[in-house]
Amino acid sequence: MKKSVLAATGLGIVAAMTLSGCAGPAESGSGSGAQEITFLTHWGPDQVAMLEAAGDAFTAEHPDIKLTVQSVPFGNLLSTLRTQGTSANGPTIVGAYDAWLPELVRDGLAARAPGDVADDVTANWPSGVVTAASNGGDLYGVPNEIDLYALNYNTALFDAAGISEAPADWDALVDDAAKLTTGDQQGIGFITGWNSGVVHPFLSLLASNGGTFLNEEGTASNLTSDEAIETAELYETLVKAGSTDTSKSTANANTTGPYLDNFVNDKTGMLIMANWWESSLKDAMSDRFSEIATAPIPVGPSGTESSSISYSWMTIVNSKADDAKQDAAWQFLSYLNGPDSGENGSSAMGDILISMGIMPTRSSDIEAHADTLETPFLSTYVDALDAATPFPTVLGGPAATDALQVQLEALLNGQVDAKTAMENAARDVDAALAAAQQ
Amino acid sequence: MTTATTASPRRNTVSPPMRRRRSKTAKWSALFLSPAMIVIGVFTVIPMLMTIWISLNKWSMFTSITDMTFVGLDNYTRLLGDASRMQAIANTGVYVGLSVLITIPLALLIALLLYFPKLKGKGVVRTLLFATYVIPTIAIVIIWGNIYSPGYGPLSAMVSAIGLTPPGWLSDPQWALLSLVIFNVWQMLGYYVILLIAGLTQINEELYEAARIDGAGLVRQTWSITIPLLRPSLVFVILMTFVNSIQVFDPIYLLTQGGPANSTNVVGFEIQRSAFQYGMAGESSALAVSLFLMIVAIGGVLGIIMKGRKR
Repeated sequence: MKKSVLAATGLGIVAAMTLSGCAGPAESGSGSGAQEITFLTHWGPDQVAMLEAAGDAFTAEHPDIKLTVQSVPFGNLLSTLRTQGTSANGPTIVGAYDAWLPELVRDGLAARAPGDVADDVTANWPSGVVTAASNGGDLYGVPNEIDLYALNYNTALFDAAGISEAPADWDALVDDAAKLTTGDQQGIGFITGWNSGVVHPFLSLLASNGGTFLNEEGTASNLTSDEAIETAELYETLVKAGSTDTSKSTANANTTGPYLDNFVNDKTGMLIMANWWESSLKDAMSDRFSEIATAPIPVGPSGTESSSISYSWMTIVNSKADDAKQDAAWQFLSYLNGPDSGENGSSAMGDILISMGIMPTRSSDIEAHADTLETPFLSTYVDALDAATPFPTVLGGPAATDALQVQLEALLNGQVDAKTAMENAARDVDAALAAAQQ
Repeated sequence: MTTATTASPRRNTVSPPMRRRRSKTAKWSALFLSPAMIVIGVFTVIPMLMTIWISLNKWSMFTSITDMTFVGLDNYTRLLGDASRMQAIANTGVYVGLSVLITIPLALLIALLLYFPKLKGKGVVRTLLFATYVIPTIAIVIIWGNIYSPGYGPLSAMVSAIGLTPPGWLSDPQWALLSLVIFNVWQMLGYYVILLIAGLTQINEELYEAARIDGAGLVRQTWSITIPLLRPSLVFVILMTFVNSIQVFDPIYLLTQGGPANSTNVVGFEIQRSAFQYGMAGESSALAVSLFLMIVAIGGVLGIIMKGRKR
């Protein structure tokens, strides 16, 4: 009998220990006392240092709030956000891409901005980026950066090939790409292995050909339209001419890899890329960065004007964090994005973004950095803002992006023809949207 | 092995003190096993049952469990109609098949060579081979990412040096999966070689002596003595290769993200992507259950084949 009691007690202790282990550690920094907030980002060491400096400056004014920065590669950002963000102890603030917002709101991972923050953002940011940071009419984040795509080209290679100016339309693009393709050098590079990088250049060309990715409601694709098939045929033409080489265009987890290496080492004449990689180009090319020029996306046969895909980023607050932490996070974000935290009327966020060649979105930041935004590299992107096509932010967007990426990569590798690629993509994108939106 | 069960005709032959002792032993066994059973129950059995349940629901995993919507087998039927995910299943099959077909003969050959008594420096070779298994996968993946680099990778340089055009190891859909198989074989080969060498040491040397006296050559000895007697080790190595390769995830996640053109998308990667990138835990769980059933089915078939041969 005694042994039975002993056995039962032992089992009880083990069960209690196991279950208490499952309950997780007690929350730190909860309640109304000192708050420790975490900022999850994909920025590099230089920008993390700037963010930490802003955190220290904020703590000097608010000793009860301390900021910790957590940085992961871009490729791991969403999964880190999703896995850690579901916990009250997860990152309090997260840098998020606008295409992710509908699903983050649906899953309760993004907190609605308080009234004073929403009023500030509405008053000081352009309405387009406020809309991109909103869902169902409510603001969920403080907008910070906007990115667009433009043609990047190597002027030294252009000179060597006898090309005097950047191609303005697709015929010129095909001709120039052929002239630039010699030996171990590809005329134009199309990145593979990174969904946004694959899809956004294609959609920029599509927009410049008068087409759209999705229908107006965002419920189905428009990829079997004449404009989309023409865009795919442009890829097919370049592939068949040997003017693009996928072996020189793969990305790694930081979205650079051979794609960047070949461009900075004069093995790629042109590519279509976003403004944010200016800092990567400068780091890799040093003085030779001056050889890189930018131009608007070439216009297609069915298009009337150049249009680039645009997308924006924002900082959201984890809705799973307790109220005190959320309040501290919004206070910090108001400071970080406010006109007093940076240099010469810029916000600290504006300074961080501009250090990477990224356009800030707060109106006062754009004014404060007007000189930088007028540089030859960035001015093309700034000029493209008005005619830009925002990437659709709908439920199922990330899955739809991946579905299109698969077909574009197949097209670039010569596995499918243009029409089949678009038909397959339309089928898969529609299925992805339906699965997410039903 | 005891036969003293309630159904045994010999139960009356067991004396009362013996029964008491066995009853006491059973209680202690239960006590000592219970921590492990509870841990396995909480962290293995319950999650498995939950995964099966989630696969029958539409749920994002990041919302409350009360937000689940029961959809029956919809997630499974959607899998069958999803070309991308069906390709992930096919890719997994190809990856597993190639891994087993390349690894096992190669490991066996190297193990036999390294077990050869007169071979000098085999200790060093064994250590080097095993080192690939010990190094963290993340480090090896970074190294192999550079080895496969089209611009400055040594592999492309070597292929070019012999007058051939190097393929896009990770960028060509026809080569990418094979490149990952090569990586897997390289990483795991040493581990399997060591296991097979351990198996070889269990074979009685007198059998070889007898065979030699009977005039059997090296090939005959290998075929008639080594291979049959090495079967337990070989079965274990085949199963380990199978399980290791069917669960492949790290190199896909770090090197190719399932591309190019879905050519390296495998079930393990797709499970992660569906759950954590798309927030579709139901579909992800349906894939996980499908993978589990594949492992059970193929493992079962392997078991039956091996059992049949043993008879």
